[in-house]
Amino acid sequence: MNLLGVGLPLGLGFAALGSGIGLGNAVNGAMQAMGRQPEAHGKIQVSMIIGMAFIEALTIYAFVTVFVLQAKL
Amino acid sequence: METEKGTISLFNPDKFPKRNEHGTEEAHGGEHGEGHDDHGGVQHFPNLLTYAIGIMRPLGVSETVIGYLEKYENLIFALIATIILGLLTSRAMRKPEMVPGKLQNLIEYLFGGYYEFVRGVLGDEAKRYIPFVGTLFFYIWCMNWMGLVPGGHSPTASPYVTFPLAICVFLYVQYIALTRLGPIKYLAHLAGDPKDPVGWAMVPLMLPLHLIGELAKPLSLALRLFGNIMGEDTLLALFAGLVVIAIPHVGGFGIPFHLPFMFLALLASTIQALVFSLLATIYISQVLPHGHDEEHAH
Repeated sequence: MNLLGVGLPLGLGFAALGSGIGLGNAVNGAMQAMGRQPEAHGKIQVSMIIGMAFIEALTIYAFVTVFVLQAKL
Repeated sequence: METEKGTISLFNPDKFPKRNEHGTEEAHGGEHGEGHDDHGGVQHFPNLLTYAIGIMRPLGVSETVIGYLEKYENLIFALIATIILGLLTSRAMRKPEMVPGKLQNLIEYLFGGYYEFVRGVLGDEAKRYIPFVGTLFFYIWCMNWMGLVPGGHSPTASPYVTFPLAICVFLYVQYIALTRLGPIKYLAHLAGDPKDPVGWAMVPLMLPLHLIGELAKPLSLALRLFGNIMGEDTLLALFAGLVVIAIPHVGGFGIPFHLPFMFLALLASTIQALVFSLLATIYISQVLPHGHDEEHAH
């Protein structure tokens, strides 16, 4: 029973879960802001994309860990 | 491109790493490995350099030359990115005219737009730091997009390229902090700017915290860029492998399954370049003296 083989995909799944919740929150806020003021659509979209890149980065850390450790699986 | 014969085959399903009973990996049919280059089990596309090596090896070029080419693959492609950027900008701005031609217009649009963006963050100081930050953005953007051109390879998919970039940002930000703030204010900034007895009491807590934070920032920069670009490279290579496997089942020609992911890769590459340089800008703006805020008349 390879503990790494159990842990790595689980960890990646949890990271994806967290990223889904975080990105959902971010896009939710952006959509509401765009609804309130459609003229600021461009600026809000750019800020949303940048914020999403930061949130996504945390999932990417887990992804990179999987790739580093997958040779030991 | 998908040829069944010869030493240059894009993907050979026989050569996907398989596990034998002992649980270790082995790749079948391994005398020519350039069609399926796996670095520890992770696939990626072959590029012009690996094709060149594949041609040179049976021709009998010495192994040391081939070894150098393989070792410095990232460096060669980074140099190609530098040459592309240099040629593009020098040709566009050789004789700048009031009514710009197409190339000059494009270069002015891209570079001027990014300059305005950085000015929104840094304000007046942008003029001093835009060379570094702008170079970061366009260099990383060019390197990321080079991986999506057939025959190219993005050097940023390797941690040996992104970590030095992050170290450059780290050292430059510390240099700016030391020269602009002075050593005493720099230490105070690291200790959390103690102003009252509570601040001074918290210094033993804030100092290590800030130090670790300062070290974590370039680490996160490097890992974010590396993870994103390597992830999208692996995704594309995986789906392209699926295309090759599916060829006999769809009647002999390849349907590009990895096309939607190409669009995603284009977008994500640009965004990651933007985020890297924007974070560098923000780190610079954090260590600049804050005296300008009181002078603004809003």
